[in-house]
Amino acid sequence: MPQDMPPVGGYSPVQYKRNLPARGFRPSIYVVGTALLMTFGFYKVGQGIREHNELAREKMWARIHLIPALQAEEDRDQVRRYLADKAREKELLGTETKVYHSDRFVRPTFAVTPEKETK
Amino acid sequence: MASRQPRFNQQVLIDTTPLPNDIPKVKELGASSAPLLSASFFIGARCKAYNDDYMMCKTEANGRGELDCMKEGRKVTRCAASVIDDLNKHCLQEFHNHWQCLENHNQQLWNCRGPERKLNKCVFDNLKLEKTIPDTPKGETPVHLRKRNIFASH
Repeated sequence: MPQDMPPVGGYSPVQYKRNLPARGFRPSIYVVGTALLMTFGFYKVGQGIREHNELAREKMWARIHLIPALQAEEDRDQVRRYLADKAREKELLGTETKVYHSDRFVRPTFAVTPEKETK
Repeated sequence: MASRQPRFNQQVLIDTTPLPNDIPKVKELGASSAPLLSASFFIGARCKAYNDDYMMCKTEANGRGELDCMKEGRKVTRCAASVIDDLNKHCLQEFHNHWQCLENHNQQLWNCRGPERKLNKCVFDNLKLEKTIPDTPKGETPVHLRKRNIFASH
């Protein structure tokens, strides 16, 4: 029996390489482009954060300027209630008891409500 | 807690006993949040001394500030009220526009720069009060004077 032998002149070359055109640009261009885009983006983010900080500072100072006026009004109201409470106690009990062993102003944990509806 | 007004079923029960007569009376500000925010930097500009005095008194009163600092508190309130009165007298239209704008824009100052510029100009011309934001970084335009605002929605 004769053996199977390669064809005369050898086999034709096997195509194992891709034979497609490479699309787009070189990869390095994409890397550089992405880096540029992100640099720009982070720059804008930084600008935004800085402006945001300044806006926060503006808001904080607006409140700082208002705190004394609001606090003064609130304190006056608290003192009014406190004095009214003391006067009421004096009228009802005839004595002034000190609840706390301290001279500090302690905000009451309860609110006295009048008997009748107030406007 | 106790400063919250007690509300009951369709009734408002608030202790309305006025302060004793030996304590001088002072009219409260009576302005709501948007006008106060609009006027805040002018209040800060005119009343800084009174405000600092009051806050220092409170700090040093050792827990009795409510009772001991009433005098300073009245000065603070009178000064702030004088600023608001002057705004109403000299710059009523600009003031009104600005705080209306704040009301309509969730009290975001950066969305009301237009009316604010007009108000600042009027207040500076008439009352000589200037809006300055302390601690702004040097060499930068203060945020309320910038031409371009990143966060402004229009």
